[in-house]
Amino acid sequence: MKYAFFVGCTVLSRLPGYEKSARKVAEKLGIELVDMPGSSCCGTTYMETLDRKTALALAARNIAIAEEMGLDIVTVCNGCTENLTKTNKALKEDPVLRAEVNEILRETGKQFKGTVNVKHYVRMLKEDVGLDKIKAAAIKPFKGLRVGAHYGCHLLKPSDEMLFEDPNDPQVLDDLIRATGAESVDYPGKTECCAGPVMGIREKVTWDVGMEKVETVKKYGDAMATCCPFCYITYERCQFMTENNPNLPVVHIPQLLGLAMGLSADEVGLGTNKVDASALLAKQEA
Amino acid sequence: MEQTEIRITAEGKEFRNELMATHGADKLMHCYQCGTCTSDCPVAKRVPEFRPRNIARLAIYGQKDRLLSGDLVWLCAGCYTCYERCPQKVHVSEIVSALRQIALKEGKIHPTIKSIITTIPRLGYISEIGEFENEMRGEDGLPPAPTPAIEEIKAIMKKTGILGRVGGEQA
Repeated sequence: MKYAFFVGCTVLSRLPGYEKSARKVAEKLGIELVDMPGSSCCGTTYMETLDRKTALALAARNIAIAEEMGLDIVTVCNGCTENLTKTNKALKEDPVLRAEVNEILRETGKQFKGTVNVKHYVRMLKEDVGLDKIKAAAIKPFKGLRVGAHYGCHLLKPSDEMLFEDPNDPQVLDDLIRATGAESVDYPGKTECCAGPVMGIREKVTWDVGMEKVETVKKYGDAMATCCPFCYITYERCQFMTENNPNLPVVHIPQLLGLAMGLSADEVGLGTNKVDASALLAKQEA
Repeated sequence: MEQTEIRITAEGKEFRNELMATHGADKLMHCYQCGTCTSDCPVAKRVPEFRPRNIARLAIYGQKDRLLSGDLVWLCAGCYTCYERCPQKVHVSEIVSALRQIALKEGKIHPTIKSIITTIPRLGYISEIGEFENEMRGEDGLPPAPTPAIEEIKAIMKKTGILGRVGGEQA
């Protein structure tokens, strides 16, 4: 299996642990992730609220790079997944819109053709690799580790665009957590937004929304696992904004998978997590 | 006393028509004010003035000034919970996007969002990923980040005119 790997600005610049573990886990599973030359920001989720054509064109330029490579795209960011998926769908379905966007792209020398698909890393794992293969690869499974999954919004919503799992009852992260031997715990507010996008508008709202979930997960579990860089940053940083830091480890889902597959803490970049996550290592079978 | 009477004027109707002509905002008039959007909104829980149901109602009445004042339209987190759960498929998130686009036409944009948008043609990313960052990536065992084709990004954003509208320098 081979994919064009769209990492996205935030993971590239701020979350080496996510990127490192995603690459290593892919390697373990025999998946080749190929970097995309000339790729850039996906456009951000803000762009489509300001100007749809710009949002479509910026995303389409990145998709066109994967088309030239002849590979489907895998992303590790919920926001990038949403932008690229929505654009891919809209331009595949609407030839008039596609022509308009290709006209915007003319000077770049790139054109959207509609020949590839876009998937988030976790969706690729579940749909293309399969849970059985992942379970089989977990040679050093967790035991007695309780993990609260946080999905974030744009992996699933808007559901009529993303066409993945039910946003009110998603499964993929729970499935992946269970594949590592850990227990995936349910908790109130599991599918709620982290409010990360308003961090730059009303910072306190984000920290309050973040802390509410951190404290809830702490009641039910030992750690939180996410698949979105922005949610990750929210849940990690909000803990340092209060006097009583709850110190709930927040991990990227491939970090959890990687450890269970026998990768070392260093290989999954566990030392880059701001809340110490080393307690997870004590819950692995020898 | 604050004037709270609500009435639609000719200008208000024009504004509403402009709003409803924006992608995704055409079902505004289907709103029957059930309030599902507000009760499920993560921002409304914390910010008393951000009420998606009120936003829909004010939009129906063409209350442009009240909608575009302060940072109201910039408070939406874009989580799509209201989009998913609206029994009438009004999609208040899309109404908010349409309001942002109208605000932008009038030169209004939140400074944080302006700064993000104007960073894209400058860096190709929303954050600096230069020599130093790539060195750090190397230390973490990661390959250098792709060098974004900045000229292509500038060409796109110049052609759509977005930079002029957000008040960023025209690349």
